[in-house]
Amino acid sequence: MLVWTVLIIGILSLIAVETLRLVTAKYQNALQTSTWQEALLAAESGVDVAIVELRKSLYPPPNHAWDGWNNPPGNVVTGYELTTIPNAGLNGTPMTIETSVDAPSQLIDPTNSWQYYRIRTVGTIPITGPARASDNPQDTKLRRLSLRWERFTNGILTPHLLTAPQVSRRIEAIVRPVSAFDQAVMSVGVVDLTNQNIVVDSYDSSNPTKSTNGLYDPAKRQENGDIATDGQLIEAGNAQIFGDVATNAGTVSGAANISGVERTDFYQEPIPIGAPSWADSSTASINGTTTIDAVATQGSVASRYTFSSISLSGNKTLTIAGNPNGSQTYIEIYVTGDISVSGTGQIVIQPGVTAKIYFAGNADISGNGVMNSNNQPGDLMLYGIQPPTNSSEHVSISGNSQITASIYAPGHDVTVNGGGTNGHVYGSIVGKTVTMTGVSNLHYDERLGSTGIINNYKIVSWFEDNR
Amino acid sequence: MVTGFGRRRSWAKKGGYAVSELIVSSAIFCSISLGLLMGFTSLQRNYAATSDFSVNHADEMRISDYMAMDLRRAIAVQAAKNDTTIYIPAYYDQTGSPQTPALDGQGGVFYGASGSSVKIHYYLMAGTIYRQQDNGAALPLAVSVQDFVFDVTDAGKVVTTRITFNPTFNSGGASLAATTATAFYNTTLLRNSRTDIQSSVY
Repeated sequence: MLVWTVLIIGILSLIAVETLRLVTAKYQNALQTSTWQEALLAAESGVDVAIVELRKSLYPPPNHAWDGWNNPPGNVVTGYELTTIPNAGLNGTPMTIETSVDAPSQLIDPTNSWQYYRIRTVGTIPITGPARASDNPQDTKLRRLSLRWERFTNGILTPHLLTAPQVSRRIEAIVRPVSAFDQAVMSVGVVDLTNQNIVVDSYDSSNPTKSTNGLYDPAKRQENGDIATDGQLIEAGNAQIFGDVATNAGTVSGAANISGVERTDFYQEPIPIGAPSWADSSTASINGTTTIDAVATQGSVASRYTFSSISLSGNKTLTIAGNPNGSQTYIEIYVTGDISVSGTGQIVIQPGVTAKIYFAGNADISGNGVMNSNNQPGDLMLYGIQPPTNSSEHVSISGNSQITASIYAPGHDVTVNGGGTNGHVYGSIVGKTVTMTGVSNLHYDERLGSTGIINNYKIVSWFEDNR
Repeated sequence: MVTGFGRRRSWAKKGGYAVSELIVSSAIFCSISLGLLMGFTSLQRNYAATSDFSVNHADEMRISDYMAMDLRRAIAVQAAKNDTTIYIPAYYDQTGSPQTPALDGQGGVFYGASGSSVKIHYYLMAGTIYRQQDNGAALPLAVSVQDFVFDVTDAGKVVTTRITFNPTFNSGGASLAATTATAFYNTTLLRNSRTDIQSSVY
C-alpha cells in the first residue's frame, strides 16, 4: 500500500511540476506579448505627439510649438523629444516615447512648396519577470525583446548591454500638409442646404479628364463635392450632393440626393486667421473706381495693400492689375473693415494675378460681384480674420453673381443666396456656419486640396521598422 | 500430540485464503488498478490535449501578430483562406537599411523605386504555415498545424483575421462548436492608403 501511495504521489507531483512549468512559460509568453503590444501603442503615441506640435505651429504666434524639444525640425535639423509616462505599462511600468522629426528636402512638393515631415518614434516598455526567451524561436523573431541586449544605440543598429529587460518598437511615419480647402464645404457649426435646387459637385482644374481647359464642365462632373461639419447637423434639404457628407457624431437630414457616403467621425479644428503681420495703419477706403497693381513675381514678397474698407456700387470698379502680358503676379490685400460689392460695382482680378484678400469685417458680394479673370478659385482666396469672441460677422454671396474663389472664414457665418438660375460658386467654402438658399451651385475644384493655407497634417505613410 | 499433518492443517487454517477471498480481493485489486489506469490515462490524455491547445493557441497568437504587423503597414492585400498576400512598402534597401522616401506627385510617398513594394505571402502547406517575403526562403511560423484555418476578411480600411484549429479533447474529433470556440480574431486598421482600391474613402 505504501508503494502504491508513493507511486501515485510521485506521478501526481510530476504532473503538477510539468503543469506548473508549462503554465509559467505560457504566462511569461503572454506577459511578454502584452508588453510588446503596449510598446506599439507607445510608438504610435509618439506620432500623435509630433502631429500635435506640427498643428500647433500652424496657429498664429505665440503658439508654443516645439516647446520642450531640442530643436524645431527642419531640413537637416532633427527635432527630438523624450516623453516618459510613469505607471503606463503592465504592472505600473513606465512608458518611454522617443520622437524625432525632420524635414528632408526630398519631401518638398515642387508644385506648392509644401514640406512633408518625417516622424520617427521609439516606444519602450520594461518587461517584468525573468529575462527568459520564448521556447519557440519564431516568437523571438517576431517579438524582438531586448532581454540582455538592446539592438539599437542612438538609432543605429548597434547593440548595447541592458541592465533590465525591455521591449522597443519603432515606427516611421510621413505626414503631409492638408489644405483648409479639402472639402467643398466645411463648417464649424450647422450646414444648411435648404432645397433640392442646390447642387454641390466637383471638378479638377488641373486634370483635363475632369475639366475642360481648366474649367468646370458638367459633362465631366466629379463626385468629390464633400460636405463636412465639426457640428452635429447637416440639413441637406434634399440638395443634389455629388460627394460624401460627414458630421461630428451628428445627423444628416434631407439626405435623399447624396451620392456618396455619410460619416459621423469628422472633426477638423479650423486654424484661425490672424491679422497679417505686414499690415500698416492705413485708413484708406476704396469706394470709387480704383486700380491697384500686383507686380510681385513668384519667389518674391507679394505686393501688399491695406484698406479700411471696400465699398463698390454703381459702376464703381476695383481693378487688381497684373502684368500686361498676363504672367503670374501676386498680391495680398488686408481690409480692416467690411467688403461690400453690389449692383454693377465689381472687383476685377486681371489675368495672371493671384490674390489673397484678408478681411476683418463682413463681406457682402452681390450684383456683378467679383470677376476672377483666371477662372481659377486658387487664384482668389478670401480669408476672414477671426473675429473677437461674441462678435458676429458674416460673408454673403447673393444674386445671379458668379464667383470663382475660395472662402476661408471659420469665424464668419457664410450664406450663398442663389436668386436666379446663374448663381454659381466655383471653389470651396469654410465658415462658422454655411447656408445655401435658392438656386445655387457650388462646384468644388479638387485642385484646391493642394493649395491655400495648411490646416492640418495627415499621415500618408506608416511603417514599422522591425529589424 | 501434534502431527505433521496436524501442523499443516493448523497452518493452512491460520494463514491461508479461501478461494472466495482470493476472488474478491483480486476483483477489488483489478477494479482499483483499472480505475487508476483509466484515471491516469485520462489525465495523460487531458494533459496532452491541454498542452496541444496551449501550443496551438500560442501558434494562433504568433500567426495573428505576424499578419497584423504586416497589415498595419500594408499598401495592398489579397485575402483568401489559408493563402493571403500582403504588399508592404519597400522600406529597406538591399543592405537592409531604411531608405529615404520620395514624393509620388499624388500626395503620397514611396520608398525605393516608384511603384515598388515587398510581397509577403502567408500560406498553409503540408501542415505548416509559412511567411515568405518576395522570393526569399519561406519562414515556418507554425508546424504540425494541418488542422489550422486562417481566414482573412478584407473590409477595405480594416482587415480581420480569424484563425481556428481542432482541439483534441474529444477522441472522436472536434465538433464544429469546439473548433469555433478556438477562433482567434484580430481586426487591423491599415495605416497606409491602399494602392489596390480606388475609392475616396482612402
